[in-house]
Amino acid sequence: MTEHTQFRVMDFDCPTCASTVERALKQTKGVEHVEVHYTTGRVEVEYDSDVADPADFETAIENQGYTPQPA
Amino acid sequence: MDIQQYYRKHRKAVVTATSGLLYVGGWSLGYVTAFDTASAGILVLAAVIGGYDIAKVAYHEVRSRTLGIKTLVTLAAFGAIGIGEYWEAAAVVFLFSLGSYLEGRTMRKTRTALQELLELAPDTALVRRDGEQVEVPAREVEAGEVVIVRPGEMIPVDGEVIEGESAVNQAPVTGESAPVHKASGDDVYAGTINQEGALEVRTTGAGSDTTLQRIIRRVEEAQEAQSPTESLIDRFATYYTPAIIVLAVGAFAVTQDALLSLTLLVIGCPGALVIGPPVSIVSAIGNAARNGVLMKGGEHLEQAGKIDLVAFDKTGTLTRGETTVASVQGFGQDTEDVLRLAATAETKSEHHLAGAILDAARGLDDTTDVAADGGAVIERTGIPDPDDFEVVGGKGVVARHDGREVVVGNRALLEEWDVALPDEIAGYVREREAQGETAVHVVLDDDVIGVIGLRDELREVAPGVIQALKDAGVRTVMLTGDNERTARAVAERVGIDDYRAELLPEDKQTAIEAFREEGHVVAMVGDGINDAPSLATADVGIAMGAAGTDTAIETADMALMADDLERIPYAVTLSRATRWNVIENVSIAVLTVTLLLAGVLTNYVHLAGGMLVHEGSVLVVIINGMRLLRY
Repeated sequence: MTEHTQFRVMDFDCPTCASTVERALKQTKGVEHVEVHYTTGRVEVEYDSDVADPADFETAIENQGYTPQPA
Repeated sequence: MDIQQYYRKHRKAVVTATSGLLYVGGWSLGYVTAFDTASAGILVLAAVIGGYDIAKVAYHEVRSRTLGIKTLVTLAAFGAIGIGEYWEAAAVVFLFSLGSYLEGRTMRKTRTALQELLELAPDTALVRRDGEQVEVPAREVEAGEVVIVRPGEMIPVDGEVIEGESAVNQAPVTGESAPVHKASGDDVYAGTINQEGALEVRTTGAGSDTTLQRIIRRVEEAQEAQSPTESLIDRFATYYTPAIIVLAVGAFAVTQDALLSLTLLVIGCPGALVIGPPVSIVSAIGNAARNGVLMKGGEHLEQAGKIDLVAFDKTGTLTRGETTVASVQGFGQDTEDVLRLAATAETKSEHHLAGAILDAARGLDDTTDVAADGGAVIERTGIPDPDDFEVVGGKGVVARHDGREVVVGNRALLEEWDVALPDEIAGYVREREAQGETAVHVVLDDDVIGVIGLRDELREVAPGVIQALKDAGVRTVMLTGDNERTARAVAERVGIDDYRAELLPEDKQTAIEAFREEGHVVAMVGDGINDAPSLATADVGIAMGAAGTDTAIETADMALMADDLERIPYAVTLSRATRWNVIENVSIAVLTVTLLLAGVLTNYVHLAGGMLVHEGSVLVVIINGMRLLRY
């Protein structure tokens, strides 16, 4: 089942940092589509709920040094 | 507060401050020759504490095969320690931490500017269910349910007032600071504040289906959409960073100077160049939203910054859009009979001029309120229906009543029906038109028996708005379907530069195309519904009073949520300020990078200095862009 979830990352400090988070999320298992918006801090993830767990996405964002918040 | 929680929340600040203190301590010790080793130790400690989080991210960057600035900074710090430049290592780590902490903090401010609006909407609503009042989560209120809003409370849903009367502060939605009077039948919006009386509201939308939510979604989409400048820079950046790496490797091969190459890597992140324009645009869009102006996106904002001609549709824009009968003159007939006869002919017409004539005719005999229960029901018996009726598009109506022919319309209609216009009446008509009225002839069986003058009052603020635009160096033009004389009178009163009269709707589009061909960047202001084609033709279409109409919000390049003409000069000058702000930020960034590269290659700028200037320039463009939040 494809599902959609959103986070807010308010502390992105540069656009390239936002794109590294985007790439990290894309490499997370079960993720089908990712969009990270530097300007608004919005992170959108489409994923296969049989494979991935939204908690994994939070870890991936934290690994890049940012704090995800529920949107 | 729990100390652990506090630390987690402010980790970046604490780490940066610690590393900064150690850095200053180690550096000072370095001046005392006896403590050389201690100084080196403290500086390395500063680099390790400040750099731990950076290195951790760098590890993940490398693992996901991306080359980010954190990898470059980590490399530079290790490299500097490796060649014994402890001071450089500590400085580069500390400056980077400080810079990114401040950048994250300021960007958070920009990002939350809009979120504050969202948090305004209340979480719960008082709903009448099965005769009882129950408190439920606002998003669970269903369409059709009645919500009770007490004075001083925020309205939790979109809906229509069915009971009560109050003043509502609509600033969160429309940006208007003055409260708006609301009574039965009026629309209210979630997030607005009920100031005086209790209201009962029949819900039309709740949760994510409210005007406020739609506005916020629109604004976010607008902020996320890239402007042409941003896409250009992004394309440039994808080549820039690899080019710098090649340059760094090349420089090392030639000079064998590791520090030089590391410095090149550190300033290899395009920084200010990629950050500046988005910050300007996001700040401007956020500021506009809080003032009740929705911008469709950076592209439109950049375009709007070049506006040098604003065309106004007259009716409902420069004027209030409430046409009333200003004068009635009978020629060989009683004035009241002229009005009644005209009303009869117009009964079935849906034209806005017809509505004004009908209202005036009803006013003649509304002495008796026929509603027995004292309600506001007025029986419309005063005006008989015509036996036969035909609309002549753009000219008037022709009706038959009691076996007589009644023609009500403009001069073109008289010509079409071969009705002679005596000089005396023609003179009177010219006089009314010179007053800015629209004159309508009333003809009974081929004789002009009277003239009705209709007027749509100018908005009080209109002359001031036109003057403000002129002061900003913008040409102003009024487009109207009125005849030449009426148009000229209105144009003079409002002080507008130019006008185009007797335009059919499609002529307005042609007029705008003509202005564009003359090389103007044209904004068209209209109500967003009737003027949709001309708004689309203009470079920037500005819809007024969009709060209730989703189509206007969706289609216009800019939508003024309130019916407030005074937002136009604001929107035009804000766009212009934004365009300059973007240009400033790009210039600052390009200049900095050029100077930095030149400085590094000529050995004037080293690792720490390069980092300082790099981070400094990023902060400068962010702060410059954020000025637009307070514009």
